[in-house]
Amino acid sequence: MDVLYKVLVDPFLQMGGAPDLFVQTLWEGFVVGTLYALIALGFVLIFKASGVFNFAQGIMVVFAALTLVGLYEKGVPAYAALLLAIGAMFLIALGTERLVLRPLVNQPDIILFMATFGLTYVLIGLGELIFGGSPKVMIADQLLLPKGDITFQAFGGIVQLQKIDIAAAVIASLMIAALAVFFQKTRIGRALRAVADSHKAALSVGISLNQIWVIVWFTAGVVALVTGIMWGARSEVSFALQIIALKALPVLILGGFTSIPGAIVGGLIIGLGEKLGEFYWGGLVGGGIESWLAYMIALIFLLFRPQGLFGERIIERI
Amino acid sequence: MTNERERRQSNDIILAVEDVTLSFGGVRAITGVSFDIRKGEIRAIIGPNGAGKTSMLNVINGFYFPEEGRITFRGQTRQRMRPHVAASQGIARTFQNVALFKGMTTLDNIMVGRTLKMHKGLFWQIWRHGPALAEEVEHRKVAEEIIDFLEIQHIRKTPVGRLPYGLQKRVELGRALAMEPDLLLLDEPMAGMNLEEKEDMSRFIVDVNNQYGTTIALIEHDIGVVMDLSDRIVVLEYGRKIADGKPEVVKSDQRVIDAYLGVAH
Repeated sequence: MDVLYKVLVDPFLQMGGAPDLFVQTLWEGFVVGTLYALIALGFVLIFKASGVFNFAQGIMVVFAALTLVGLYEKGVPAYAALLLAIGAMFLIALGTERLVLRPLVNQPDIILFMATFGLTYVLIGLGELIFGGSPKVMIADQLLLPKGDITFQAFGGIVQLQKIDIAAAVIASLMIAALAVFFQKTRIGRALRAVADSHKAALSVGISLNQIWVIVWFTAGVVALVTGIMWGARSEVSFALQIIALKALPVLILGGFTSIPGAIVGGLIIGLGEKLGEFYWGGLVGGGIESWLAYMIALIFLLFRPQGLFGERIIERI
Repeated sequence: MTNERERRQSNDIILAVEDVTLSFGGVRAITGVSFDIRKGEIRAIIGPNGAGKTSMLNVINGFYFPEEGRITFRGQTRQRMRPHVAASQGIARTFQNVALFKGMTTLDNIMVGRTLKMHKGLFWQIWRHGPALAEEVEHRKVAEEIIDFLEIQHIRKTPVGRLPYGLQKRVELGRALAMEPDLLLLDEPMAGMNLEEKEDMSRFIVDVNNQYGTTIALIEHDIGVVMDLSDRIVVLEYGRKIADGKPEVVKSDQRVIDAYLGVAH
């Protein structure tokens, strides 16, 4: 009974008892959630268009952030470095299309998946070669990202919001919204969904697969850059950062590999679940549940909806 | 009806296939086939299973590259071509086993067919505003006209994966029409259909040809339909051309009769 009380009743009493802490936890969950959504979005874009689970997405985040900071350290002004980093992501997209996707067209998905492993190691090597392997500090100030925090009295206590978190949440939300509209409502968006559905048919109506792939990988690259800036500003820019890509996996399972709204909602559920779980239930098992709780949440959803919350319903006429 | 078509038909050749040879590994799919398609006609390609009919369509729209031979489309000669280039030059097609965007609605499928006709820049598209919105509206009108023409208003918003086969074939035709092609390639447009659906589809094909003046090349197994619809017929067998001409001529050709009925050796 005691255990049941601690699991089912006590946390909620705590939430009610100290609403300021509850709100603070919700906020942190929300911020991490939008960033998770952004990471997941990078995967969804590429999965939709080329049917590949892009293992290199995590390293793309690192590489983008590293290029930005590395160029700045070599004396390039911050905003010029930002533009050059975007340019570098475009070159990666172009190179991937030419050297990886095009020669492997029509190969089984698993081959393409393995090729993204290769891409991962190429990017790791390239990053270390050019910018070195030591951790760097994100140039948040130079990019005019806000710092400090806002503290206000509310909910019978103090709630503290980091300005960089607010910026991250706003930028991530805007980016997600813009991408969602772009891919749902425009010609290129329709072309992208068409490619995702049937390569053969897309080709027959005059869509160039190569062009779509470059667009999609480039978009995923820009998403990686934004993720890298925001996540880098919260910790540091190092190769360890690619681990956050693993956080995208439960988000994708939850939201469905092909759904942009799924990535958003999935990201938020995982972000909030993780923070609330850690704060209110973590103590029961000695804490530290944040790192695996996301997978548990995803697993439970998987039992009920194998295609994810927003995954495309598998329609098959027999 | 045939007279009406003959009046509009010219002797201009829109597509000429010359000595095309295609093989997969050691297997010859097409051997030295030549034929032409005249502007405004309905040209049928027939032959027993495995004769190389679909391979021929794939060569024409660039899915396959022939080892030998040339293809001349609207005066431009080439040996190989990429599918999206063929599409941009005015070749549209449907597939034997329906290749639609199953997760998308009928309307979206047809709108995808308009892709090449839409040109407004990325910048406007992102905001879905100004010129891009006007363009979207304009193309939506065309799509609605096609939907009316094919009598599929009732399934406008249905994801096509849920539709019965006959309707899917019709949507696929709609998507091809949305490209406003000069040459429309139809790969067994009536396969798997019942009599009523076949009659509807035949009517649409003839109407497309009459109203829009679209040149059509079709593969079909229903000989009755082929004889009724087409102006000229090419017959393939084991990758070689065995007959070519008007339906009456082809019908009485001994080699065609042998190919279809089998012959005692």
